[in-house]
Amino acid sequence: MSDGKGLLRRGVGMVAGNKRYILWFWLLNLTLAEFGVAAFRNQAHAILDNSLYSGRLLKGFDVTVFGEMLGKPEFGSTSAVMMPAIYVATLFFVATALFLPGVFQGYASNYRLSREDFFHACGRNLWRFVRLLIVSGVVMGIVAGILFGIRAGLVKAADASTSELLPVQVGMAMTALIVVIMSILRSVFDLAEVDVVLSDQGAVRRSIGAGFRHGFRSIFRLTGSYLVIWVVASLVMVAGLWVWNKMVPPASVLGAFVVGQLTLIITLAARFWQRGVAVAYWQDKMVAPVVRPVMPITPAPAVPVVFEPPLPSGPAAT
Amino acid sequence: MRIRWAILFFPVVSVVAISLLVMGHAAKAAPPPQAAPTAVMPTPPKATKTMTPAAAAGAVSIPDTVIAVNSDKPMSERVVHYEIEAKYDAVKHTIDANEVLTYHNVTGQALDHFPFHLYQNAFQPKATWVREAKLTGNRDTSYAKWEDKEFGSEEIKSFEVVGQGDLTQQLQFVQPDDGNRDDKTVVDVHLPKPIAPGAYVQFKIAFHDQMPETQARSGWKRDFVLGGQWFPKVGVWWHGAWNCHQYHATTEFFADFGVYDVKLTVPDYEVVGASGVRVGEVHNSDKTQTLTYHGDDIHDFAWTASPRYKVKESTYQSQMGPIQLRFLMQPAHWDQADRHEKITRETLDRFEKWYGPYPYKSLTVVDPEPGSASGGMEYPTFITGDSSWFAPEGIHLIELVVEHEFGHQYWYGMVATNEFEDAWMDEGINSYTEVKVLDSILGEDTSVLNYAGMTAGERELQRGTYIGVADLDAMSEKAYDFVDFNSYGGITYGKTASVLLTLEGIIGKDVMAQAMHTYFMKYRFTHPTKEDFLKTIEEVSGKDLRWYFNQAVYGTQVMDYGIFRVDSFPVNWYEDDKKGGKKDAKNTVYRSTVWLHRRGDFVMPVEVEIKFDNGDAVREHWNGVDRWTKFGYEKKAKLVSAELDPDHKIHIDRNNFNNSYVVESSASATRKLSNYWVFITQWLSQVVAWWGA
Repeated sequence: MSDGKGLLRRGVGMVAGNKRYILWFWLLNLTLAEFGVAAFRNQAHAILDNSLYSGRLLKGFDVTVFGEMLGKPEFGSTSAVMMPAIYVATLFFVATALFLPGVFQGYASNYRLSREDFFHACGRNLWRFVRLLIVSGVVMGIVAGILFGIRAGLVKAADASTSELLPVQVGMAMTALIVVIMSILRSVFDLAEVDVVLSDQGAVRRSIGAGFRHGFRSIFRLTGSYLVIWVVASLVMVAGLWVWNKMVPPASVLGAFVVGQLTLIITLAARFWQRGVAVAYWQDKMVAPVVRPVMPITPAPAVPVVFEPPLPSGPAAT
Repeated sequence: MRIRWAILFFPVVSVVAISLLVMGHAAKAAPPPQAAPTAVMPTPPKATKTMTPAAAAGAVSIPDTVIAVNSDKPMSERVVHYEIEAKYDAVKHTIDANEVLTYHNVTGQALDHFPFHLYQNAFQPKATWVREAKLTGNRDTSYAKWEDKEFGSEEIKSFEVVGQGDLTQQLQFVQPDDGNRDDKTVVDVHLPKPIAPGAYVQFKIAFHDQMPETQARSGWKRDFVLGGQWFPKVGVWWHGAWNCHQYHATTEFFADFGVYDVKLTVPDYEVVGASGVRVGEVHNSDKTQTLTYHGDDIHDFAWTASPRYKVKESTYQSQMGPIQLRFLMQPAHWDQADRHEKITRETLDRFEKWYGPYPYKSLTVVDPEPGSASGGMEYPTFITGDSSWFAPEGIHLIELVVEHEFGHQYWYGMVATNEFEDAWMDEGINSYTEVKVLDSILGEDTSVLNYAGMTAGERELQRGTYIGVADLDAMSEKAYDFVDFNSYGGITYGKTASVLLTLEGIIGKDVMAQAMHTYFMKYRFTHPTKEDFLKTIEEVSGKDLRWYFNQAVYGTQVMDYGIFRVDSFPVNWYEDDKKGGKKDAKNTVYRSTVWLHRRGDFVMPVEVEIKFDNGDAVREHWNGVDRWTKFGYEKKAKLVSAELDPDHKIHIDRNNFNNSYVVESSASATRKLSNYWVFITQWLSQVVAWWGA
C-alpha cells in the first residue's frame, strides 16, 4: 500500500517513464496555439514590420503603443484575435480527452506501449470518454457554478464591511476552497477515467461510482497529492514568469520563447503527474483481484526412510 | 468513516465560517453604537437666528480676512461670503443647514434676480444628470438599475432676502440648458427690489440635503461621507448675464471667489477634513463636535468625514509662506501616506517654479473610501486621490491622481475658468501640466507605469485617449454638448494635452513655459475665457497661431501624416540586369524617392528625416498643404528609412505607425508579441484541459 508520498513518487515515475506523451501533448499545444495566433501575427506584421515606432514594443513593452496598435482599424476587432485562442483551447481539450485512454494504458503498462496499442486504447474508449466527460462536465460545472456564486455573494457581503481587505481575503479564501473542492472532483473523475480504460469498463456509471467511492475513501491521499502538484505547477508558473521578466532581455524573442515554453512544458507535465497518481492509486486500490485457479493438493508419495549405521570413529581407514 | 464524513462537510463548514466572518465585519460598517443617539439631529435652528456681525450692524460687506492665505491682502475680487452652519446626520446621511450668503454686486448693473445651483437634486431618476449619464455614459455610474440609495436631494426650507422678506414661495426651478422640467438643479428667485450696482445683498437660506451613496464624487459610502456641491450656491454674472447651468453628467462647476465660514457639526468620532483652515473646534455635550473652517479667496467648499481616517500632517515652505499639508488616509493604505506626501511636495515644487506661487495656507489630500466613486476630485485647497490596497510603486496611479488634482488648485482653483463651457481650460490645461510635471518626476516614458517590464508615459496615454474620438467634438465644445462621455474625456483631457504639447514644438518649450507662467499670473483669481488663454500664448510667442488654434481648438480636424511610399533602386538598373545582376556596391548610384501623404484634414508643416545606408541623413520640410508630396535623391547610397516628425514634436497625429518606413522590414516586434500571445493561448488551453479532462 502506498501513502501520499508513494503515490506522488510512483506518479512522477510514470510520467518520467513516458516522457514522449508530454512531448506530444506539448507539441500539440504549441502547434494549435501557433495556428490560433496566425490572425494576430498577420495583422501585426502589416502594422509593425516597417515602422520605427514598433521599436517601443521591441526594446521594452510600451503599453500605450500596444494599445494604439490594437485600436487601429487595420488591426481589426480584438474579438477576431481573441476568439482563435478560445477555439484553440477547446480543440486542445478535445484532443486531450481523445488521447488520454492511450496515456492511461501506457502509464499502467510495465513495457513501452506500442503506437498501435496506444491508439487502440484511444479508439476503444472514445465513446466511454465522451459519456464520462459529459457527466464530469455537468457535475463539475454545477459545483463550480454554485461555489463561484457563493464566492460572489460573500465578496459582495464583505464589501459592506469597513475593512477594505476583507473582500479580498474572503475572495482568496473562497478561491482556495474552490481549488480544493474542484481538486477532489478532479481526482474522482480521473479515477473514473483510469478505471474505464484499465478495467475495460463499458458501464461508465460503475467507474464513476468507483471513482467517487475511492475518491472520498482516500480523500487525504488523493486530494493531498493533487493539491501538492497544483501548488508545484503554480509555483513553476510564477517562477517562469519571474525569470522571463527579470532575466530575459526585452528584445530577446528566442530567450522569451525558451523560458515560456519550458514553463509550459513543466505545467503540462504537472497535470500528467496527477494522472500518474490516479493510475498508481488505481493499481493499488481499484484493480480487480486476479482469481487464480486453486491447485489440488495431492499427498506426496511415500518414500521409505533408510537409517544407515553411523560411521565408526577412529583413524580413517585408508 | 466519521472522519471522512467530517471531511466531506469541510467545504460546507468553511463556507459557513467565511460567511460568519463576513457578516461580523459587515456589521462593523455601521457607525459605533455610542454614536447612534446623537446621530439623529435636531431640527435646524431657524435661518433668521444666524446673523453675521456685519449684517446685524447693518453694514453688510465681504470680509477682507487673510486667515487662510499667505498674503497680507485679499488676492481675489471677493464677490461672495458664505456663512454656513451645518449638521450632518451620519445615520440618515442628511445635512440640515443654515446659510447666509452675502453677495457684492460688482456687475455694474442692477440685479433683479439670482439663480442658485442645487446640485444634489441631480441625483434623481428624471434629472438631467442621471438622464445623460444613462444615455451617454459617465465616469462612475452607469445606472443600469436605479437604486434608492443613489437618490440625492437639496431642498430649500426657507429663503429670505434681508430687507425684502421671505421669498421662499418665489423660488422657481429653471432649466436653461435643456428645458427638462424634471430637473431641479437650478433655482431662480426674482427680487422685489433690484440690487443696485456696488451694493450688497444678503440671502438667508435654510436647506436640507439628502446625500446619495456617492455619485460624482459627492455623498456617502459605508461610514464615509464627502460633502461636495452640498449647499445652495449662487451663479456667476459673466459677460453680461447670469451663468448658472444645470448639473450635467459631464460638467463640473463655476463660481465666484469669496470668503467661506463654515461650521460643521458631526458625531464626535468622525475625523474631518475640509477646504480652508480650521479655526475652531468645540466638543458638544451630545457627543457631537462642531468644527469651524475659514477659507479666503476660494470659490467652493468641500468637506469629508470618516471615523477611520489616519492623519499625517507636515509643513511645506512655499514661496509665500508655510502650507499645512494634511493627508487623510485609509487605514489599509497607511503605508502609502509617504507616497502621497512625496508626490504632493514634488508637484508643489514644480508648480511654484514653473507657473506661480501657491498662496493658501493649507492643502488637504484625502484618500477616499475604496469603491466610493469619490477618488480624483478637486475642490479649493482640498483634493481626493485614488488608491487601493494593492499599489505597487511601479504603478503610478497614486502619483498621477494626486498630481492631477493638485494641478486643479491652479487650473480651476485660482484660474477659475467656466467648467461648464470650457472644460478643456481646466481639465485639459491641467492634463498638459500633468504631463510636464510627471515627466520631470517619473520619467517621460514611465510616468504612468514602470512595472513588470511594462511601461507607459503620460504624453502617450493622453494621446491614446484622444485618437479614438479624434473627429467627434471640438475642444471648444461646451462640456455638456459632447457626443458622449468618451468623447468628452478624450477631447477635453487627451486632446488638449496633446494639442499643447504639439504647440511646444511650434513655439518652443521655453516660450510655452513662459506663456503658461504669464497666463497663470495674469488670470489667477479671475474667470478667463478661451481667447484670454490663446491670446496670451500668441502675445508671449509673438506668433500668429490662428491657423493652429482654428483647427486644433475650435475645429475637429484630424491629423494623420504618413509615409505613403519609398523607393530606392540603382539609376542604371538596366545595366546591372545586363551584367547578370552583379553590382558594384560602392559606386552604384541609387535613385531614392520618398512620398509623404496627408491622410487627415488637419494641415500643418512637417519635417521628414531620410536616412541612407552610408550614414547620411537628410531633413526636409513640407508645408503639409497638398495631399501628397515627394522628395527624390540620387546618391551613392541606398535609402534605409524615412521618418516624419523625427524629433517627435507632434502629439496629435492619429497614427504614429505610418509616420516612418524602414526599407528592410524587421519582424522582431511582431515575433515578440506573437510569442506573448502564443504563451497566453497555450496556458489558457492547459487550464481548460487541466480542469476539464
